[in-house]
Amino acid sequence: MLQQVVWSAELDVERIVDTYGNMLFRICLVMLSNEKDAEDVVQDTFITYLTKSPTFNDSEHEKAWLITIATNRCKNMRRYNFIRKHMDISDLQLYSKDNENYGLLDHLMRLPTKHKVVLLLHYVEGYKVDEIAKILAITTSAVKKRLQRGRELLRERYRKENEYGL
Amino acid sequence: MDFEKIKDAVTSIEMSEAMEHRVKENIGKRKSGQVLFKRLLPVASALAILLSIMIGIPYFNKNGELQVVNFTITAYALSDDENQLNTNLSTEKATFELSTIQRMGVIGGVGGDGPNFIFTDVMLNITGEDIDSITYTLSEGKFVEDVTLPLIKDYDWLVSEKINFITTEPGSNISQGIKEIGNTYTVNYNEQEKHKYTLAIPHDGNFVLVEDIVIEVNVKYIDGSSEQQDIVVTQEADSISLKLN
Repeated sequence: MLQQVVWSAELDVERIVDTYGNMLFRICLVMLSNEKDAEDVVQDTFITYLTKSPTFNDSEHEKAWLITIATNRCKNMRRYNFIRKHMDISDLQLYSKDNENYGLLDHLMRLPTKHKVVLLLHYVEGYKVDEIAKILAITTSAVKKRLQRGRELLRERYRKENEYGL
Repeated sequence: MDFEKIKDAVTSIEMSEAMEHRVKENIGKRKSGQVLFKRLLPVASALAILLSIMIGIPYFNKNGELQVVNFTITAYALSDDENQLNTNLSTEKATFELSTIQRMGVIGGVGGDGPNFIFTDVMLNITGEDIDSITYTLSEGKFVEDVTLPLIKDYDWLVSEKINFITTEPGSNISQGIKEIGNTYTVNYNEQEKHKYTLAIPHDGNFVLVEDIVIEVNVKYIDGSSEQQDIVVTQEADSISLKLN
């Protein structure tokens, strides 16, 4: 009986890490700009999942719950990390296939957390404004404003880089 | 700006195989620990009840009546609308409505990462006769103090002073910080006003880690005798409750 419980727990670990591991890791990495912190948050999120064993309506519900937990932890870690960290460009190269990619990632990571998280959820994970509002527990108008400001900031930085060859 | 390219750039991020293996292994270990912990709960509960009975015996007098301590504990805090709330603690729950979301943080934030806490803003005060000093000891969490200090960028000094998490208004030369006091402290009865220490309760970023936290209050009288009273602290969604044990 005990063996069966342990075996089923192992299966659960395999399933959630295989299904959501990379998705959570890239959100956390972009939010925290630090590989070790991102790994810690992903790990803590899965431990919370397994400890609380919440029930879900479907896999989308499960995914949204995991994103909420992970982004909350990232925000807390970020808010109280007085020394702001930023990933070195050579570390970013480990994650990017070409020069243009890591240039884009660098721009994205340098945005304020509140802007980059909504950009990530909208453009990368494909969530609609009202879905993001639910996940982040903010209003839809706040999501729209953050999306708009995030896009502006990105464009501005991209334009400056091209103008001055920074 | 091509957001499709950003999407491609972000989706190309993946955990390395070593990291994935490490995460699975660490989660597996913690999960096995949980299973074992759950199995031990009934035994731990029985032991806890037995211990409570044994510890509780000295608090009953010869007539079998509950012997109460000779001092009053008052808990106080500023509410969300900045009104001061205070209440004398009893065996009935006293609840402070304090929204949690604004009060989450990490001890050790200045020097790096640390465990998460909810900063409760709740303080304690003792009144009684012939009291020399009071020692508070928390079973979980920390006592912390809000401090105001000149704008300091010397992180080593802040870490050495155990001042975690400082904030500064734009253009101001003054910073607000949180100083870690520890899980116990002693204060002279007449100097309680000088020690405005509040409770910081551990949480994991989303949930409180310990359901009930106990504050042991040990009062030492001028004649050398002492009395002890425990307070049970429970953090709920947007409130904190305290009651005498």
